[in-house]
Amino acid sequence: MSKQILRKISQGLFLLLFLFLFIRTESKGNDTLGYPVRLFLDFDPLIFLTTLFASRGGQIPAGFFLSLITILVTIVLGRVFCGWLCPLGTLNTIVGSFRRRQSIPLDAKWHRLKYYILIVLIVSSVFTLQIAGIMDPLSLIIRSFSVSIYPLADNGIRALFDTIYNTNISGLVDVSEAVYGLLKKSLLAFRPLFYLQAVFTGVIFFLILAMNLIENRFWCKYLCPLGALLGLCSRYSVLKRETSEGCTGCGICAKACQGGAISEKNDNWRNTECLACFSCDDSCPQNAVSFGLGKQKNQAMDLGRRQVMASMLSGALAVPLLRSTPLSKTTYSNPDLLRPPGALEEKEFLKRCVKCGECMKVCITNGLQPTLLEAGLEGIWSPRLIPRIGHCEYRCTLCGQVCPAGAIRRMPLEEKTKVIIGLAMIDKGRCLPYAHAIPCIVCEEMCPTSPKAIWFEETVVRRRDGKELIVQQPRIDLNLCIGCGICEAKCPVGNRAAIYVTNIGESRSQANQLLL
Amino acid sequence: MDRRKFLKTAAVAGCGLLIGEALHSGVSPSEAAEKYDLVVAHGAGKPASDITKATISAIGGMKRFVSRGDIVVVKPNIGWDRLPEQAANVVKPNIGWDRLPEQAANTNPEVVAAIVKLCFEAGAKKVKVFDRTCNDPRRCYKQSGISDAVSSLGAEVSFIDERRFRDISIKGQVIKSWPLYRDIFEADKVINVPVAKHHGLAKLTMAMKNWMGVMGGQRGSIHQKIGESLADLCLVIKPSLTVLDAIRILTANGPQGGDLKDVKRLDTLIAGVDQVAIDSYGATLFGMKGSDLSYVKAGNAMGIGSMDISRLKINRLNV
Repeated sequence: MSKQILRKISQGLFLLLFLFLFIRTESKGNDTLGYPVRLFLDFDPLIFLTTLFASRGGQIPAGFFLSLITILVTIVLGRVFCGWLCPLGTLNTIVGSFRRRQSIPLDAKWHRLKYYILIVLIVSSVFTLQIAGIMDPLSLIIRSFSVSIYPLADNGIRALFDTIYNTNISGLVDVSEAVYGLLKKSLLAFRPLFYLQAVFTGVIFFLILAMNLIENRFWCKYLCPLGALLGLCSRYSVLKRETSEGCTGCGICAKACQGGAISEKNDNWRNTECLACFSCDDSCPQNAVSFGLGKQKNQAMDLGRRQVMASMLSGALAVPLLRSTPLSKTTYSNPDLLRPPGALEEKEFLKRCVKCGECMKVCITNGLQPTLLEAGLEGIWSPRLIPRIGHCEYRCTLCGQVCPAGAIRRMPLEEKTKVIIGLAMIDKGRCLPYAHAIPCIVCEEMCPTSPKAIWFEETVVRRRDGKELIVQQPRIDLNLCIGCGICEAKCPVGNRAAIYVTNIGESRSQANQLLL
Repeated sequence: MDRRKFLKTAAVAGCGLLIGEALHSGVSPSEAAEKYDLVVAHGAGKPASDITKATISAIGGMKRFVSRGDIVVVKPNIGWDRLPEQAANVVKPNIGWDRLPEQAANTNPEVVAAIVKLCFEAGAKKVKVFDRTCNDPRRCYKQSGISDAVSSLGAEVSFIDERRFRDISIKGQVIKSWPLYRDIFEADKVINVPVAKHHGLAKLTMAMKNWMGVMGGQRGSIHQKIGESLADLCLVIKPSLTVLDAIRILTANGPQGGDLKDVKRLDTLIAGVDQVAIDSYGATLFGMKGSDLSYVKAGNAMGIGSMDISRLKINRLNV
């Protein structure tokens, strides 16, 4: 079997593993998920390094040390991760295969772009800014799948089966419902998913895929910062490509090369760009290409001193630039920015969160949503709870379990139920018992703490007709409220709830407090 | 009923009569039980399943309510993510909450399981168990212990499918029409299996209020006129049998509780056909009267059932 076939099988298997773990990132009603759903991120050295730098060596989740294996393998074998494993890389090759005509590759110097991006990300992380997740391929693919691609597929399939269901053609509906039932148990989400930023992240993702139509693996060659990091690691890799004297310089291998590592006449091979895909080996008509433990000296990539300096400077400057927003003041915060329970203090949280979207995928109520600019540009696509979309389920601890970077702490249930996300307040102008003398107790009924944070004050009120009646008006015990937001989620006052949660009083902040 | 089904039923019934004649010289159990309006079974320290069996047999056996080939809906209360020890719902149990069994927020899983088993023994073709939950359905079904307890018996435990709500017209005082879950109306028999617990507005939630678990839409709005609304609902939802789970009752912080201090163990079940009577009797477990509960009063006034328990024939049973 040719090495290419082996590689394709490997790519397929890892893509399936990725999709399997992704789909299993969903509650089945138990307290834990039972699968290591963040496995791919654990093996990601770019996320590991930037987290290590940005958090200044604070507690690093043990899982991250698995990424050292990726580095070791790359040092020995080169960028096999990119060629054989990376799910985004695999999707790129699949889309690339639809391109009919041979493309003209960009000039070789464009390969440097990804190294500059890498330098910006690494240097900014040294100055505690964690923005690697925006371009890290694994973070990017998980985020895009979580908030956009998967909901898109899921809602599309649901719409199809609902349409068949509504035709009421008995035989047809029986079959379609049976298939639908199976899909619901396996591939589909438990309930329809909706995310803010779904269109935005989706468009970015499709653009990345579409770039393969310009040139196969465009993203991998020119943009991917993880590819760049692994390229640096493979600088001295042992596995080397050699061409025997039979080479005629026909250039077929250069055209087949997925990483753009071979020059047009096959007179130059750059180790750091080679994805170890073995396309050159298989395509060579003279059978002149081989891979082995050669002694040939590796070609260095000349990044240019000035450009490297400029990239480093950009990375350093990005830090104060992104932080010159009032959100950086300790005395100012966005009241609607409810972070998931167990999230670190905001500054520490931003140093950790890699915007992978795992927490939003797993959130049992769909309440965790990606931000746009609510947490500043630095916090783009970080999780925020919007109770009106979904509350924080009292006895659920899943977001802390899946967070790869420790931005959301993993907590036992006991501890989680005590973490304050914010505090609920009542809008007396909209609340039925206050504003309209109409009985309503839904917030109190739903309140999960014991004793309940919402209690009633029985008040005599007068209706328009002069009739007096006693209504139970809800009051909030600020010492008991944890801001889970189920009151806001279930408040029957439609559109804008009469009870709402803001982040004042959140456990993670020292400044943002209300009570003495 | 088509001809074939009629012939089959007639044949089965005929054989049953013959065999019954041969086995019992006296009155058949169903005749004996019909003398009682309610069965109140108490079994201190006894397994909930044993109490359930005794209760059902005292009310006339499951065959009184379930016929061979029936599709039965058992509606528990599984509304909350709570453990079984924290409260209890056709067998329509209450599965509304993400609570563990010992927290008495949902129907006791052993009781639900025992009823499902009896349904199958009485010849039921299919038994469905579901609830529109308050907390996340996956957590409620799992954490209440009900899903695991009954799916192994062959019952169909399914999550609510939003497409299966149908607008049902109700000629009620307050509710004229509401989307209700289709399966309740398509089933041959419906068994209501609520748990007895505290509630902030309704004071207590038992049999009648358990039907909120089959309501679609913005059901929270009915709290504005809870008494009339629940009675209106009972105009169209008429279970064959109701078994009120008071194995453990939740006395405060309801309907979902959370603190075992609020849970009282009574090891009691109350069974009957009249939901108003059951709720009226249930009130006494909490030191209240049926007339203290707005929906019991409304149900009584509308003639859905009788709240005057002094006029009921009650079989008090020690297991």
